[in-house]
Amino acid sequence: MTSTHPEQSIEQYPIPETSFAWARKVAQEGDWSESAKRWAVLRQAYPNHPATWFGAINAHIEAGEIEKAIVAMGSASEKFPNHPNILLQGAKIKLQQNQPDTAAELLTIARQKHAGKLETWLQSADCAAQKGRFDEAEQFNTEARQRFPDALQAHKQCSELAMQQKNWELALERWESFRKQFPEHPAGYLLAAEAAEQSGNPKLARKLKLANEYGDDLLTEMEEEVFQSQTNQRHRHTTLGGLTELVWTKAIFNLRSETQRNYLSYLWWILEPLLYMVVYFLVFGVLLQRGGEGFITFLLTGLIPWTWFSKAVSSSSNSIIAGQGLMLQVGIPSIVFPLVSLLQASLKQIPVFLVLFAFVWLQGYPPDVHWLALFPVVLIQVMLTIMFGCLLAALVPFVRDVSHLVPTGLMFVMFLSGIFYSYERIPAQWQNIFLMNPIAFILKCYREIFIDGIYPDFVTLGTWGIISMLGCVLILMAYKKLRYIFPRVVLA
Amino acid sequence: MMSQQPIISLQDVGVSYKRAGSLFRKTQYYEALKSVTLDIYPGETLGILGRNGAGKSTLLKIISGIIKPDSGTVINNNASVALLALQAGFDQNLSGRDNTILSGMLQGYGRREVEAKLDEIHEFSELGDFFFEPVHTYSSGMRTRLGFSVSTVISPDVLLIDEVLSVGDRHFREKAEKAMIVKIQSNQTVLLVSHAHSQIRRLCDRAVVIEAGNTVASGTPAEVIQIYETLLDKGKTVA
Repeated sequence: MTSTHPEQSIEQYPIPETSFAWARKVAQEGDWSESAKRWAVLRQAYPNHPATWFGAINAHIEAGEIEKAIVAMGSASEKFPNHPNILLQGAKIKLQQNQPDTAAELLTIARQKHAGKLETWLQSADCAAQKGRFDEAEQFNTEARQRFPDALQAHKQCSELAMQQKNWELALERWESFRKQFPEHPAGYLLAAEAAEQSGNPKLARKLKLANEYGDDLLTEMEEEVFQSQTNQRHRHTTLGGLTELVWTKAIFNLRSETQRNYLSYLWWILEPLLYMVVYFLVFGVLLQRGGEGFITFLLTGLIPWTWFSKAVSSSSNSIIAGQGLMLQVGIPSIVFPLVSLLQASLKQIPVFLVLFAFVWLQGYPPDVHWLALFPVVLIQVMLTIMFGCLLAALVPFVRDVSHLVPTGLMFVMFLSGIFYSYERIPAQWQNIFLMNPIAFILKCYREIFIDGIYPDFVTLGTWGIISMLGCVLILMAYKKLRYIFPRVVLA
Repeated sequence: MMSQQPIISLQDVGVSYKRAGSLFRKTQYYEALKSVTLDIYPGETLGILGRNGAGKSTLLKIISGIIKPDSGTVINNNASVALLALQAGFDQNLSGRDNTILSGMLQGYGRREVEAKLDEIHEFSELGDFFFEPVHTYSSGMRTRLGFSVSTVISPDVLLIDEVLSVGDRHFREKAEKAMIVKIQSNQTVLLVSHAHSQIRRLCDRAVVIEAGNTVASGTPAEVIQIYETLLDKGKTVA
């Protein structure tokens, strides 16, 4: 910013650049005529500073106020005859006046006198492009990029030239290398998006626009995703293995969750049955002195298997309703819900059974070979539990009233199953009918094994095995049929 | 894109719900969807525009295979579909890790597959050591972060998104939004349901307008949004 004039003392006040920012700010916002006005004000304070002149001329040109630009140019060329902008902005004015040839002449002189200025080359390219001589424009631009490899405008112009020639493929290529060099500049995305749109690739256009907002890794990360989504083969819930895995994991996790709630956590699994037994021992063994010798053993060998059945069935009967939130979010087979409840309740009974075994042993009924018969008995009980549990769970969503009947029904079955009394104490003609209740029969089996030390009635056991097996298959089929019905019923 | 086979195709799909009756009240039927026809092509992002109550959530349940239609056909060419369900099945007493496994399995993955992705999910969620603490110790922001991380790292063939979500604090929201955008713009097939047309315009290849249980328009986002807007205007004048 050298001034040939002597009266420099005036320009001592503030630092010009900060004042100039005042005029440049509105220009950046696009209000060129306001910018021109501000430059005019600044010119009063800094009449010998070239920026106040050329800033104003530029603003006038951009605002389309050619007449004013010409007037200002007249004074400026007297004041700074050797300033490159005399030629460059002069050329701009000529271009605006639709005299490209005159502009080209001015620029030819500029290229000779001011070859070291970026603007010279950029404007030369612009001028050539405006005249439709794109090969010439490309040459000037190449020159600009070689001389100023880091200049953003030069590279931007390069891509824009391709767009002006409507060569969208080339434009996209050039924008891509532009983005590599200037990843932060929005033009690399937004103008490239325009090129993509023009070339008939709206998807790429959208990606580019989003990449401008979210960063350019959006453009590269996509390639990896292709591979990933093709390897997903997932219909696991429909296979038995997948179903089992889900039910098992869910039940185990539910148990873990349950124990997390309590301070004593897993200890409760043992404590609860122990307390339970203590209560019965106190009431029946000590207070009531009922049933005589061995009554507690008799009671517990019936009560504990019954508790397992009743807890499992009552918890599963409501499971589909309880699982509705999940059912409506993810497409898992509805049978998962009762099965998880059953498994969860059953796993909790394992320690109870162990305590029962210990108790029976301590009461003077040591384990012998007959205890092996427990395996089929427990298996049949498992199948009966699944059958009744899943059946009730399927009924409740359709007729919610059933859930009110479940506790009463279970209590009814409890009294009909001979937990507190032996089946032998009812009239003989009723005994056979009484034992047609599978639970009563199963309890009889447990007592035969534990107390009488004999094998249970395998024929009847086998019959119940077949019945419950068939029942389970039917239920499974019904669940398959109802799979898409449950979510609707639950929604209603 | 159009020359490809659609992975999911809905033809004239109708759904009516039963409003449960009782002894003293007659059962009523309510038509949530009347006739919806649309195709989802692999790799595209399809936007579904519709006002509240237009049947969008029922449509999502049909597409994700949770319910079957009463009329019309749904053809799914062996694609796994899942709703981006934040915190689906989260158990407050379980650790973030356990919930991740459970949530992944509920969305259709095998346990081992989820376990293989655990580190990635842990890292994405930025939960640090909290990942191994019970979820009830989390702030609500942390919870959504975990849910979001599971759903982003694990993804089905067709991902259904009910509104692009904003989750967690500002930093995570930006990250989540970006992850979602990357997912949407990738070759992941996405069905984006929204009533905000700006999102549809920004993100989708094609769009469909649902109104009162019918598909009333389909085409490029720009075309469809115009139709949607006239619909909205009509709605205003009627109301």
